[in-house]
Order: sequence, then C-alpha cells, then structure tokens
Amino acid sequence: MSEAVLVAAPDRWERALEALSADPEAQSIFDSAARHSAYDRYLRTSANRERPGRYWKIDLDALAPSSYDHTAATTAHFSGGTARGVVRCDLATATREHRAVFEKAFGKALAHAPGKYAALAQAFVTGGAFVYIPPDVCVDEPIIISYRPSRGSAAFPYTLIVAAEGSSATVIEQHDAADESVFVCGVTEVIARTAATVTHAAIQTLPEDATVFFTRAALTERNARVSWAAADLGAHVCGSTIFTAIEEMGAQAHIAALFFPHAEQHVDFVTTTDHLAGQSQSRTLIKSAATGNGQARYLGNIRIAANMHGCDANLKDDALLLSPHAHIDSVPALEIAANDVKAFHGATVGALDEETVFYMMTRGLDRRTAERMIALGFFEPALDHFPTAALRERLRRLLEQKITAA
Amino acid sequence: MSDRGLRIHDLRVTVAEQEILKGIDLHVEPGRVHALMGPNGSGKSTLALALTGHPRYQISSGSVVLDGLDLLALSPDKRAKAGLFLSFQYPAAIPGVKVSSFLQATRQAVKPGDLPPAKFRQLVMDKMDVLDMDPSFLGRYLNDGFSGGEKKRLEMLQLAVLAPKYAVLDETDSGLDIDALRAVGESVNAMRTDPLSQDTGFLIITHYPRMLQHIKADVVHIMIGGRIVKEGGPELAHVIERDGYDAIRDETAVGV
Repeated sequence: MSEAVLVAAPDRWERALEALSADPEAQSIFDSAARHSAYDRYLRTSANRERPGRYWKIDLDALAPSSYDHTAATTAHFSGGTARGVVRCDLATATREHRAVFEKAFGKALAHAPGKYAALAQAFVTGGAFVYIPPDVCVDEPIIISYRPSRGSAAFPYTLIVAAEGSSATVIEQHDAADESVFVCGVTEVIARTAATVTHAAIQTLPEDATVFFTRAALTERNARVSWAAADLGAHVCGSTIFTAIEEMGAQAHIAALFFPHAEQHVDFVTTTDHLAGQSQSRTLIKSAATGNGQARYLGNIRIAANMHGCDANLKDDALLLSPHAHIDSVPALEIAANDVKAFHGATVGALDEETVFYMMTRGLDRRTAERMIALGFFEPALDHFPTAALRERLRRLLEQKITAA
Repeated sequence: MSDRGLRIHDLRVTVAEQEILKGIDLHVEPGRVHALMGPNGSGKSTLALALTGHPRYQISSGSVVLDGLDLLALSPDKRAKAGLFLSFQYPAAIPGVKVSSFLQATRQAVKPGDLPPAKFRQLVMDKMDVLDMDPSFLGRYLNDGFSGGEKKRLEMLQLAVLAPKYAVLDETDSGLDIDALRAVGESVNAMRTDPLSQDTGFLIITHYPRMLQHIKADVVHIMIGGRIVKEGGPELAHVIERDGYDAIRDETAVGV
C-alpha cells in the first residue's frame, strides 16, 4: 500500500464528492474535511498486493470507473430482529436520533483497516444501516439487512452495528441486485462492547459483471465475541477484507468464509486479526473453491502484539480446484511478537481426490454425483458457522449451482 | 439359472506395467461364503480393486461375469448397480458428507425408490444395532476422524444396507479388536439368514484364519504369487493356521 495511484476520470468522482460536501444530511454522517481526507487516502493507497500476472489478471486500482451513477441512493431494507429497545434505521436518522452512540462508534473499527476501498466507501458514505442493541438485550431472531443497488449505479452501503455491554445479536447482511452493471463499495463496522456477542453473516450474490469491494471491520472490547461468516459468491471482481481488532482481554474473534469463483470471476480475500490484548482467542476457517477460469487469492494475517500472552490463534484454509484453469493462491501469514501463545495455521490446496471419487463410485454413485457431494461437503465446515438453517440451505443451493455449471 | 454367480475367468491384471494377477479362475456362488487367503503381496487386494474397476488396475486378459453380465465393460458405479460391493481395506474419508446422507444416496443409487424414508431409517437403525454402532454415527462425516474399527464397522453397515448380490471383503478383519471382529461376523451372519440378503455371495479376503472363526466359509481358495494354488473346504483354513503358507508353497512349488 505505498505508491500513489490515480484512478480514471477523477473529475467526476470529485464533483460527486463536492456535491456530498454541500449536502447537510451527508455532512451529518461524515463531514466535508473527513470525506476529502478519506478520498485522498483512497487515491494514495494501492489495493494491489502483487502485479496482475498469468493467473490473477485484474488491476485492483483501476476498478472505479466514472461511468457509474454516483448519485443513486443507497437504501437498506430491514426485516426481523425487533426486540425491546433495538434500533434499526438509516445512518442519517442515526445521526439525528442517536447522535452520541453514533459518534462514539462510526469509523472506530475501520480506523484499523486502512484499505483503499474502505477509504472510498467512507468518502462517499450516504446511506446504509445503523443497528444498536441496548445493554443486556439478547435479540434471538436475526436482523436481516438487504441492499439492492439499481442498474448502473455506484453504491456505498455502510452498515454500523453497535452492541452495547452484555448484549447479543445476529445480523445477516445480503447484497444482491436484480440489474446488472453495478459497482458496490461497502463497509460493515461492528463495535462489540464489553461482553457483547455479535454474529454477522454476509452473503454476496451480485451479478456476474459487478465490481464489489467489502471491508468488514470489528472492534471487540473485554470478553466480547464477534463471529463473522462471509460468503462471496457473485460479482466479476470481488475484493473482500475482514478485519478484527481485539482490543481488550478475553475477547474472541471467529471468522468463517467461503468463496467460489467460476467462469471468469476473481476473488481477492483478506482476513486480518490483530490480537492487541492478551488472553484472547481467534479462529479463522476459510473454504474456497474455483472452477472454469476462476481465480482467487487469500491472505490470512494473524498478528499477536508483543507481551500479549495467553493468546490462542488458529487459522485453517483449504482450497479446492475443480478445473485445470482455475487457480487459488493462499498465503497464511502469522506475525507473533509474544511468547506463551498458541498459534496454529494449516493450508491445503488440491483437486478432488480420485481415490475418494472411486470409493463413492463403488457405492453406485456416478462420477458427477460423487464429485458434487465431495465439493459440497468440502464447504460444510464453513457453512456450519452461518446462523440459520434457511441461510445454510440457500448457500448449499448456490454452491451446487456453481459446481454443476462447471 | 446356470449363469448365476460371480465368474472370474483367466483374469490377468497389471499395475504400473507389472503383472500382479497371472490368470485367476474363481467362481463365487450366490449364498455361499468363499474365503480367499494368502500371504501379503500375493495379489488378493489387487483382485478386489480390479473387480470393482479401479482405474490403476489394467485388465490384460480374462473375463468377469456377474449373473451373466460382463462386468469389465462397466464403470465402477454401474458394477455397483449390477450388484457388486467391496468393503475397502482403507476406506476414503469424505469430510462434510454425513453418514446418514451418504447411506441414503448410495441406497437410492443402487436400489432406486424401493423404500419409503421411514422404512429406510428403520432398516439403518436395525443394521447399526447388529453392528453395535451408536446412532450418533449417522451425524458424523463419513470416515472423517474415524478409528480403524469404526471405519470397518461403517463398511459393514454399508454392506448390510445395500444388500448386494456379491460382496468382496478386503481384509475387513485387519486391525480389528475382538469385539469389532465379532460385530463384523454377526453382521455378515445376520445377512445370511435374512431372506432379503441370503443369496448374497461373499468373497472374504484375509490372511488370518481368525476371521473364519466368526464367518463360516464354504470354500477356501489360497492365492500365492498372483495365482490360485489350492482350493478346498473350511478345513483348509485350519491347515494354514497350523502350518502357515510355507507348507502350501512347498507343496505347490510356486516360487515366490
């Protein structure tokens, strides 16, 4: 993230930025100076981890063309999860009616996630969702937030979830679109106060010509627990980052993610878990498959700061290649500056095991059925972390479509 | 009915350009138990995998006919549908696929639509009971993290649930403790008395006669060096137990 990179036709972006800076509602969410500074950071930062090459063909810095409609409103639709005192509203309403909570939370988790597209999302944030769970309230039913950008639009969905002390909630965020040609640059921030428990599941099934970037960032206080479950299945190019900062002792971060580029899809997935406090625990489980000319890259960072003893971090990532032209690059990266910690990582990349296929065929299953069962089974350990049976079943169907389309 | 049986005729099999089976003739009859015994490396497992159509095993000559059907022309799944079953010595693990859904899928593949779901569940529970398997097995991923004994029990459960016409058991006894061995024996014996599976013909591959204390063999075939060198009744297993394979080697003068 060093060299300066300029994006195509910045003038149109800058005009859109000026318009937002003059809009009182947009100002109340994020003021003009902050927007300009975020935009500046976007321009100065590169999202490329390496140069485009034989497998990975996309320049991640050249993906925000001016042709999109920057003025389309980003609207979140809510369902479920109504409980005593729970707030679900758009960001502008949150700035009016829940100013104090909003100001103490907005941008606080993202401050640790200095990505190019996180900066762009902040510069252009207008709509989105604000969820607040009051102290000690447990919301049993998942809160579902859906975003559906319209044709040709650039959308900046920003979801801010604040779980107060001792509360617990499950949020499911869905991103899809009926129309094609969308650019989505989204952010989810989760602020888990002391002993709060938040499960966040994201499912992205945007059209196959879409370009999407998601930055999901969480901040966990003492004894809090944040569980991420992410499924990135749509879009032509998808850049996804999950960032969890463990700021106080006893906190836990759980990440389960699955992605599956097929045809010409490209997925760039990064998880970063920062153990900034001792006696904290993180679990990361990544299941990825690729078929057709699908390309994926995964970078899994685990960082344990100096003197943060008693941390327990575990990262496991498995990649399954279902065609000779599919490619998945997987890089687990552990930076451990403390003694007396437990840290484990394991990564596998491979094709379907022929001995397993043979075994299943001797039981009467034809080759396609056997391969489909193995590939679906491969994702099951990650699917287990998604919060509802209906969501898991929906994901199985989507994965099955990708497998059989191969 | 004269063509019933699993008829192996002059079967020659090569692996990596090396001939392992050098002309096998063996006729497994319906409802009978054939034991195939022989020292390590004699080609017993090669026969099992060649029968089921493992791609690494090349058939250079000979024929295998199952109740009149040319088995060698079929892919492994079609051989299973024709009624052949192999209990693997080293069964594959399939993470993410639950035992219950696997059993259902395989039964559906081999005997489509013959049992309503409730009856199928009852069948599975009954068979598990014989094998002394806890119902929690059904929720586990297939062979994933299973002990050796658990894997063999699961092979026997699949055998009982699929009720094939011919079953090849490739060293199902190896690595089993005495309780697991007894459970395996009881499961096979239960199949043999069940009207739905009493016609199943068994080819039980083992190099220890102890398996045959639990499952009574009708015929014993001895394989050494890729050939069947001796055949006889169950008493042949006792001879092996007493004298080992060396006596037969000497007697048949196969230079191995």
